[in-house]
Amino acid sequence: MNKHAAKVGWLLASPYLIYSAIFFLIPLFWALYLAFTNWNLISPEYETVGMQNFLDAFSSPSVRAAFWVTYKFMLMFVPIVIAGSLFLALILHHLPRWKGLFAVGYFLPYLASGVASSIVVKGVISYNSPLNQFLRDALGWDIDWLGSPILAPLVIALMMAWKFVGYYALLFLSGLESIPKEVYEAAEIDGAIGWKRVWHVTIPMLYPSFYTVTILAVGLMFGIFTEPYVLTGGGPEYATHTWQLEIYNQAFEKLNAGYGTAVAIINSIVTFASIFVFRKVLEKWGGKHGWE
Amino acid sequence: MAGSKTWKVGLLYVLAFAVLFVMVFPYWYMLLGSLAPWNEVDRKLIPSSLTLRSYEWLFQGGEDVVPRPWLRAFFNSLLVTSASTLLMLVTAVMVGYALSKVKFKGRQWVNNAILFQMFYPSIILLIPLFLIVRYFGWYNTYWAMILPKAVNLWAIFMYTNFFRSIPDELIEAAKMDGAGHFTIIRRIVWPMSRSITTIIFLFLFMERWVELLWDMLVVNNEKMLTLNVLLAQMFGPYGGYPGPMYAASVLLTLPILILFLLFSKNFKEGMQFILK
Repeated sequence: MNKHAAKVGWLLASPYLIYSAIFFLIPLFWALYLAFTNWNLISPEYETVGMQNFLDAFSSPSVRAAFWVTYKFMLMFVPIVIAGSLFLALILHHLPRWKGLFAVGYFLPYLASGVASSIVVKGVISYNSPLNQFLRDALGWDIDWLGSPILAPLVIALMMAWKFVGYYALLFLSGLESIPKEVYEAAEIDGAIGWKRVWHVTIPMLYPSFYTVTILAVGLMFGIFTEPYVLTGGGPEYATHTWQLEIYNQAFEKLNAGYGTAVAIINSIVTFASIFVFRKVLEKWGGKHGWE
Repeated sequence: MAGSKTWKVGLLYVLAFAVLFVMVFPYWYMLLGSLAPWNEVDRKLIPSSLTLRSYEWLFQGGEDVVPRPWLRAFFNSLLVTSASTLLMLVTAVMVGYALSKVKFKGRQWVNNAILFQMFYPSIILLIPLFLIVRYFGWYNTYWAMILPKAVNLWAIFMYTNFFRSIPDELIEAAKMDGAGHFTIIRRIVWPMSRSITTIIFLFLFMERWVELLWDMLVVNNEKMLTLNVLLAQMFGPYGGYPGPMYAASVLLTLPILILFLLFSKNFKEGMQFILK
């Protein structure tokens, strides 16, 4: 019987095991080898070059740009998306009726393809668009949205916020709904009403959702590809040049496969380290207030 | 007191509708852009008349630009996404069942491997994955777009957790009646997981449908491109034809919206599990 269970167990798990052997383990070791070669994706000949790719990457302006651009995106995206999704969650939480209907409506942007939404955004901010006509005629502002190194990332960050705000709102909403009524009642007896109640009850009890959303939002910024690829191509002057764009360009446009792999490895180390630091900071901050 | 409460609820609904407007506005803008006369696209918020010219142009082509295989691309997207999603669901149910309901040595080990892999940045694998696919001779085939996306770790993780909440007694009772594991999956476990399957299906389908980077890498034959890739690559040359771009965007968005609205009844129930 036990032997039978083992057989069935491994058989049922086999799709995962086979898949991981072919599409995870082999590529992983291959990548670790490729990163130390000067292979150009086509030629049958290449040689190992030691740490050269990594040294080149550290002194490359486009890799440095990708490094900073990610944090710039984070600085814009994370506060917007957290404030926005918390706001939506609070609206949904307090609506007496049609809560589900509004929740579905708010979730719709999450379904949009980055390509399609980029096209719409490009239209909305194009030179003759109603928005720009209004800004020109009424306020005298002539704004080159995608030509400015500050506005271009902001446009992308806002677009990503539009997409994710409904999704994260559902996370906050489930946090809000899991706060027991008794806690509020007890707080009221202790004299916590209005803003005091928000500060001493809602925020601490919402801390787990806040933590999850922040980590998700931070992680997301390391994987941006579609929006800058379609909208700006990484420009102007590398202002929206993300890690993924850099890796794609190096490996598949410039055919530096070995170098591209080295950049990918650096990228994942940076991602890991950054998320680790964010987690520690958030945990420390939560711990200081006794939220956990 | 009652007066101030009604006032507050009224304000809440105003806010709720205002937000809803912002969330739906780009979809609305896309639809109107696809139906507007060409000289009004991106120039007027509300077109003075509606026309199907953009759609006609998309499928029959213009005078000076060669028509692209939009319908074929739509079919490619449908095929690749359906096949991938189906495989991801089947494999996730199988593995999830094994990890939660079959007691075999090594189960914990597999579980840990999946968790480790889930948090692993997949970008490292991109280039070697491409090489493997090329080595297998899958470049420019549907296989390249389907097989590397036939197993989804998140789906396995979700099913494993969900199946754990199904009582073991139910499985044991079925075994007593002589049912094998495959019968148990088909007759008991699968029907019980309808609400979570709905959500997992929607997320998998949506993510696969809008995939850009991978599909762009492994296929360059115009007839094999998915709709999302074709749209992204036509953005440059077709940039001067915003009307048809919006029409193609509508084409790209519609299937997901329809699926989502079709299943939105199970949405909240399934979501609650996913968000836990």
